[in-house]
Amino acid sequence: MAEKPRIALFQCQWCLFSPADQDWVDNQLPKNVHLTKTPCTGRINPLYLLNAIQGGTDGIMISGCLPEQCHFKTGNMAARRQLEEFNDFLDHIGYEKQRIRFVWLDLQDRGIIQKQLSTFEEELEALGTASNLVTRSKAVEGGLDA
Amino acid sequence: MPDIEAIKTEAKRLLAEGLVEVVLAFKAGDTPLHPQPAFFRSPDEVDDLVYDGLCQNNLATYLTRLPKESKIGMVVRGCENRSVNALVVEKQKKRENLYLIGVPCEGILDWHKIVGKAGETVITVKDNGQEVMIDARSGYHLVERSELLHDSCLRCIHPNPMSADILIGEPLTEGDPSLARAVVEEFESQSPGERYAWFQSEAERCIRCYACREACPMCYCTECFVDHLEPRWTESGATPAGMQGWHIVRAFHQTGRCTSCGACERACPMDIKMTYLPEKLNQDMRVKYNFEVGLDVETQPPFATITLDDKNRFTV
Repeated sequence: MAEKPRIALFQCQWCLFSPADQDWVDNQLPKNVHLTKTPCTGRINPLYLLNAIQGGTDGIMISGCLPEQCHFKTGNMAARRQLEEFNDFLDHIGYEKQRIRFVWLDLQDRGIIQKQLSTFEEELEALGTASNLVTRSKAVEGGLDA
Repeated sequence: MPDIEAIKTEAKRLLAEGLVEVVLAFKAGDTPLHPQPAFFRSPDEVDDLVYDGLCQNNLATYLTRLPKESKIGMVVRGCENRSVNALVVEKQKKRENLYLIGVPCEGILDWHKIVGKAGETVITVKDNGQEVMIDARSGYHLVERSELLHDSCLRCIHPNPMSADILIGEPLTEGDPSLARAVVEEFESQSPGERYAWFQSEAERCIRCYACREACPMCYCTECFVDHLEPRWTESGATPAGMQGWHIVRAFHQTGRCTSCGACERACPMDIKMTYLPEKLNQDMRVKYNFEVGLDVETQPPFATITLDDKNRFTV
């Protein structure tokens, strides 16, 4: 793979309790990582993942809180059931399961997200560019999607 | 086959006594292969009622299109009864407003297979419960019923209506759950590349007519995600991304709700196989949450129930 793998990072805005980590994610993410901040992992619709996949992302990382630590009590539990099943379902139709990674963070954790991103990137480099389910036509400069 | 006169008598009684406003059942259609869903509103009309293996729609679809508080009588098979239960769970109908005339189902005949055996011009089809007599231009054909059953019916687990108000005919033996599992396992034994190639070849024939959505009893949203303009969730044209997105998300919205009736597949004008998608989700629901849809009118589907017992279920 010539370029670095493209990663879509969906982050629950409460999961990085340390200001340093949150600042890193907000301001110092590598160019190949696209950040989408959500109010809670429960807000992540499976369609978001599908849009990212069809748009040609090589991997998706979802970071959220551990059970019983959700800001909204049970949002992460709902997300776990749905997104995990969605991952299994995409695997059923031939999408590599390893391309979707869940990172459930303890509020006490520090510096985990950086480590997870770098290991995920290495694994994606080994997998190569995603081809299955990448069907959306490329964004054209000045077009609607640009 | 169940006694059709008994069904008619019961439907007439319901309408004559004013227990229901309308009885949902089938009447003879314009072509011999397609009996059509019918709404009987007076006892005289009930003489037109038919019931045989060619009645291929899932009648529960029409429940959500009738006024919410109307009293409805309905001829139900096993899968339709489960769809009704699922709709009651989702508070689309009240169970006390429904009167279910249960019919143990011996399986629905796939008209694609009949046309495959006998050619396009079929004149009459007679179904006696064991064999099917097809009178076509190409001559008479006597075919075993099992050869013509729809794929979903071959792996049916619950042929008997479980909560009908009256059951017409003798209950049949329950199906074997391993058959439903075998379909999923057989598909998953292929490599990811083969699975994706199959999915692609099926999805790319889609013409986005949404007949599958209209045939499905659980697709009752007033505005479907593909019809949204703002935000536009997915491409709504007949593009590769749009077609694949539709098939994936349509199936995923049925997680823990699909009763495997196969009405979507029978409604498809392009003969696209699509039940292998919700079949996988149903199998996962059975394995992970020990949940089967529509067996009662209280249990919520897994995505609607969240418990902290889940916390050890998923690995970090």
